[in-house]
Amino acid sequence: MTVVHKQQSGSVAELQEASFRPPMKPETDNTASQGTDGQTDLQLVRKARHGDRSAFDLLVLKYQSRVASIISRYVYDSQEVLDLTQEAFIKAYRAIERFRGDSAFYTWLYRIAVNTAKNYLESRGRRPQAVADVADAESFDDGGHLRDIASPERHLQRDQLREALDLAIRQLPEELRSAFLLREYEGLSYDDIANILECPIGTVRSRIFRARDSIDRQLGSLLEMD
Amino acid sequence: MDDRLRETLSAMMDDQADELAVRRVLSHDDQEAVHRQWQRWQQIRDVMQDAPYTGTTVDVREAVRQSLLGESGQDSDQTPVSRVRARWRWSAVAMISLGVLVGFGAGSGWDTMTTPHGDGLVTVRTGGPADGMANVPEVALQGLDERQWEQLSRYLLEHAQNNSVGSGQGAVGYARVTSVSGSGY
Repeated sequence: MTVVHKQQSGSVAELQEASFRPPMKPETDNTASQGTDGQTDLQLVRKARHGDRSAFDLLVLKYQSRVASIISRYVYDSQEVLDLTQEAFIKAYRAIERFRGDSAFYTWLYRIAVNTAKNYLESRGRRPQAVADVADAESFDDGGHLRDIASPERHLQRDQLREALDLAIRQLPEELRSAFLLREYEGLSYDDIANILECPIGTVRSRIFRARDSIDRQLGSLLEMD
Repeated sequence: MDDRLRETLSAMMDDQADELAVRRVLSHDDQEAVHRQWQRWQQIRDVMQDAPYTGTTVDVREAVRQSLLGESGQDSDQTPVSRVRARWRWSAVAMISLGVLVGFGAGSGWDTMTTPHGDGLVTVRTGGPADGMANVPEVALQGLDERQWEQLSRYLLEHAQNNSVGSGQGAVGYARVTSVSGSGY
């Protein structure tokens, strides 16, 4: 696995050689999924607090997989996992006025998810195992160590999706691939990517969008199967 | 969704969209299209990051939405925070109005205590300890001369303007005072 560091401004060529698998634990702590500073999350939270349901929908869509992953540490039945995931988001919405932005939105949501799962187990007279705690939230990395309760069919679908994704990334034009990988795997800001690729920020933004769009079209129905 | 909006949505994925851009996305007519696109890109990211629950395994958005809609149907479409804020806003308006009237009256030294109540004056008695304190003058809102009315109007206008800027709640209060004053401020 080749990891491209921020300092390696001349390492774009290495990206072409790199496997498209992310490291299990990224060397940079700034994961792309949480963005550079959670700016979008805060914007969406502000909107949701004023009753914009669509803003909250975007937060649900963004974090539902991760919340389900957290809950699956405690609860083994997949239907229960989905029910508790739903409950965690409902609790989050009800309590959203109490979110002050002192921590990342995901950290706050993580705590709600853990407490939802624990309360559920206690209500059933089951003692929650100490597999995760709210103290883990700040350093949580939802990499491969989480238990996956997906069915064998789901595993197969995921493998197919991963292969198709790798292929789609390889087929991207070089300038799109470089910008996209620096963003997704290295979590670099558009500003940093612009410096590395020596192009305007607007170009970076456009290239990343076009890369996503191209990958999305290539994956097509694979993303819709259920 | 046109490409410009989709590019904005892509920037939102990366925390690189400003407030106006987010507002533009959220106000787009076809929110279902926005959600579909957002979800697909999130799925791609999940797969790239090897998240255990990837793809369409989890989709609780509709269930969450329906639950929340069911709740809101019972008590209007207001969120809890907006209901609380509405109560506080009206309390704040009442307190500020009282404070302005008392402050204005005390500061200007009007002495309307001698004005008889029988001639239709409306008076507001200021609060204060019942005994052991100096007398606090009452403030009459009617019977003011033109100069006093102008002074009161200007004071209220400035206060509303400061309040609208300071509270971050917009200029509604200021606009109301302006329209009521009708004196061209």
